[in-house]
Amino acid sequence: MINADLTALFITLKMAAISTLILLLLGTPLAWWLAKMKSKIKVFFEAVIALPIILPPTVLGFYLLIAFAPQSHLGQLWLQLTGSQLAFSFSAIVIGSVLYSLPFVVQPLQRAFEQLGDHYLEAATMLGAKPLDRFFSIVLPMTKASFITAASLGFAHTVGEFGIVLMIGGNIPDQTRVLSIAIFDHVEAFEYAQAQTLSLSLLIASFVLLTLIYLLNHKKVSR
Amino acid sequence: MTELTINLTNAANQHFSFVIEKKLSAQGITGIFGPSGSGKTTLLRAIAGLNKNVQGEIVFNGKTLLNTSNNIFIEAEQRNIGLVFQNSRLFPHLSVYKNLMYAQKRGKRKTLNIDEIIALTELESLTNKQPNQLSSGEQQRVALARALLAEPQLLLLDEPLSALDQENTSKMLSLLIKVQQQLNIPMLYVSHSLAELQQTANNLMVIAQGKIIDYGNIHQVIHRLNQHHDGISISQQTSLALSIKQHDQEHGLTELELDTQQSLYMPMLSAKKYKTHDLLRCFIFASDISITLQEPCNSSIVNHLQGNITQINNPVSQQSKHSVLLAIKCAQQVFYSQISLMSYNKLKLKQGDNVFIQFKASAIKTLTNSSTLDNTIAKETLC
Repeated sequence: MINADLTALFITLKMAAISTLILLLLGTPLAWWLAKMKSKIKVFFEAVIALPIILPPTVLGFYLLIAFAPQSHLGQLWLQLTGSQLAFSFSAIVIGSVLYSLPFVVQPLQRAFEQLGDHYLEAATMLGAKPLDRFFSIVLPMTKASFITAASLGFAHTVGEFGIVLMIGGNIPDQTRVLSIAIFDHVEAFEYAQAQTLSLSLLIASFVLLTLIYLLNHKKVSR
Repeated sequence: MTELTINLTNAANQHFSFVIEKKLSAQGITGIFGPSGSGKTTLLRAIAGLNKNVQGEIVFNGKTLLNTSNNIFIEAEQRNIGLVFQNSRLFPHLSVYKNLMYAQKRGKRKTLNIDEIIALTELESLTNKQPNQLSSGEQQRVALARALLAEPQLLLLDEPLSALDQENTSKMLSLLIKVQQQLNIPMLYVSHSLAELQQTANNLMVIAQGKIIDYGNIHQVIHRLNQHHDGISISQQTSLALSIKQHDQEHGLTELELDTQQSLYMPMLSAKKYKTHDLLRCFIFASDISITLQEPCNSSIVNHLQGNITQINNPVSQQSKHSVLLAIKCAQQVFYSQISLMSYNKLKLKQGDNVFIQFKASAIKTLTNSSTLDNTIAKETLC
């Protein structure tokens, strides 16, 4: 593996790790809110969150690029706050990843929260447990498997991303050039050996990760 | 002095208007009885703070828990009220001991010793087990112990025995009485089984269609229910609390003291569990008591008493058009006898008549002694 590829690997892992963390922090309350929502507008929010599953990444990438442009409101605000531009930055690909992988985190969590229901939470309430206490002492341990699934899917999906990262990251070496783009570059340059090394590593790593998730879910079901 | 003021309406209910107004001294065990869907659980969940749809006011021991006109709503976890659910709701990811610790850690007073509660509820051999390894009876005992360890000022019980078999029902009833006596914690006990409440409650509140239709001393309310027919019909019965005089080993009978001169006999109770001078809650179905005009000296039936007919209800209800309910006062105790219309006409009974009532030893029932029970009574519920 050449040096540039190692950098791409490092950037990929950093992007996926940060995105997963943000996804969990953002996705958990969102999933909770949806799970408890009784209003009919719920389907509207569910559809919005599920959009990235079917939308071509280039569509999302295109709109994000417009939103992140230096002359846009968001781009202006970002420039004032951080002093650097948002489009084609590492922050941009993290934001893109979060949006793109949101359904993979929110959906398993929402299902888990819906299945958990109110029974145990009411019991905990009657023993004096306050809302945050109930979340950490009842919800989290009882839906642990779903959190692991959500985090793994979010992480894996972020690692495997191509279109959005290319459009809003711009393939800048040492900053936004991730593995999937590195492979594309190798193929374009006819460096099939390097492309093969990276592809095979990604393939095996993804397969192992997914097997672990299914193993965990299988255990949860049979318990 | 434990006092609970309830003044509630629930506009969200479409089946009937829910209007519960009562100021009650919640000492000992207060039973809440009514048919399914009468609003018992709505009331209990409102007191617990789990039902946010109700409007009105709840004050417990001078502390306002709910006052919708002043926008006061104390959250359930702040009310210091315990609740034992119909299904035990033990946390499946925690062992029995950790379930108990969960409650103790969050209790405000922390005066109870966890090992003492484990001993009181007979859970010593179960502490290391997971909830799914327990029988339903064991699960409810853990649920009770867990609720107690949070040291609530008021314990609510929502049909806690409905999932249990006959043997566990009687075990759990005895345990509830023991716990109430030892810890002196006021309890509100919701059930659709009158037999359960007859065995445990000091006072009884009867709810039908979202309204309180009676409240008072358990025996008096049950006797009034014998004649009540607005939406509630029970197995007509005489409800008693009698002192145990002695256990007659030779004849296999337990002697109960009706007054200083007269005794009643019932199949022998476990002498280990029931001590002399203990008060026994028991009941006799009105259909098990018969009437004679002469003293039945040569009868195999062991219990007979002389009394006066104080009341005649004729006809009794739609279901039993052809029977008559008599109230007969023997010494200071009123007994209820249900006889056929044919016998009633034949004996030409009228109010004030002097008669003898008689019933077999086995007609005296109690739920806490499972051996004296037959299947039908353990789950005796509303018709």
